[in-house]
Amino acid sequence: MPILNIEEIFKILPQRFPFLMIDRVTELEPGKKIVALKNVSANDDFIKGHFPGNPIMPGALIIEAMAQAAIILFHSPDEPSSAKKPTYYLSSVKVRFLHPVLPGDQIEIVIEPVKVITQAAIVNAEARVKGQKVAGGEISFMAKEST
Amino acid sequence: MQELESEIKNIIAEILEKDPEEIKPESRFIEDLGMDSMMALEILAAMEKKYKIAIPEEKLAALTNLNATLAIARECLAKKQNAHT
Repeated sequence: MPILNIEEIFKILPQRFPFLMIDRVTELEPGKKIVALKNVSANDDFIKGHFPGNPIMPGALIIEAMAQAAIILFHSPDEPSSAKKPTYYLSSVKVRFLHPVLPGDQIEIVIEPVKVITQAAIVNAEARVKGQKVAGGEISFMAKEST
Repeated sequence: MQELESEIKNIIAEILEKDPEEIKPESRFIEDLGMDSMMALEILAAMEKKYKIAIPEEKLAALTNLNATLAIARECLAKKQNAHT
């Protein structure tokens, strides 16, 4: 059973098609740990151009999926979904890619905080397919109130 | 203590993408070395990880030069030792 289904994810993440990189949240300890899923499909918009005849999920979008999972990890559950969402800015990414991710793969993303302050965080991120680590590292980001 | 200074200097140099030689005790991180607030957070997190200490968020604003950073590290290390005795 999902902890958060796609409708609930819509309420938290500001991203939309074709840039929503999380399909489901299967584990969530707010502020401590999240496990989220991204199902990669031949129908994904980015596959069309990356690359014709050789479909691979772009590493940059795996980072995006990690960042989106991190946003969910730190969102405050009490906040009404109508509240104005902050804008999130990545500030540093140190991620290593170990295996290509292909259509049909289900990426399991695990995020755990390294250091959290009021408006920013550094998190440890790992992406796995069938239990095998495909990418991992550290990302830092901040949240700013939207104007 | 000399060791702590050179270790912390290396942490700062790596995050600010500078040569350790450029990090003088009084060089101002923001004005002279181009640090921004997220780099400050990274320096703080790197020190926490290396020395297994907890540095409170309020100390971020005090991360202004090498001497100030060393003072924070020493203070937090001392606190950690006291907690163990």
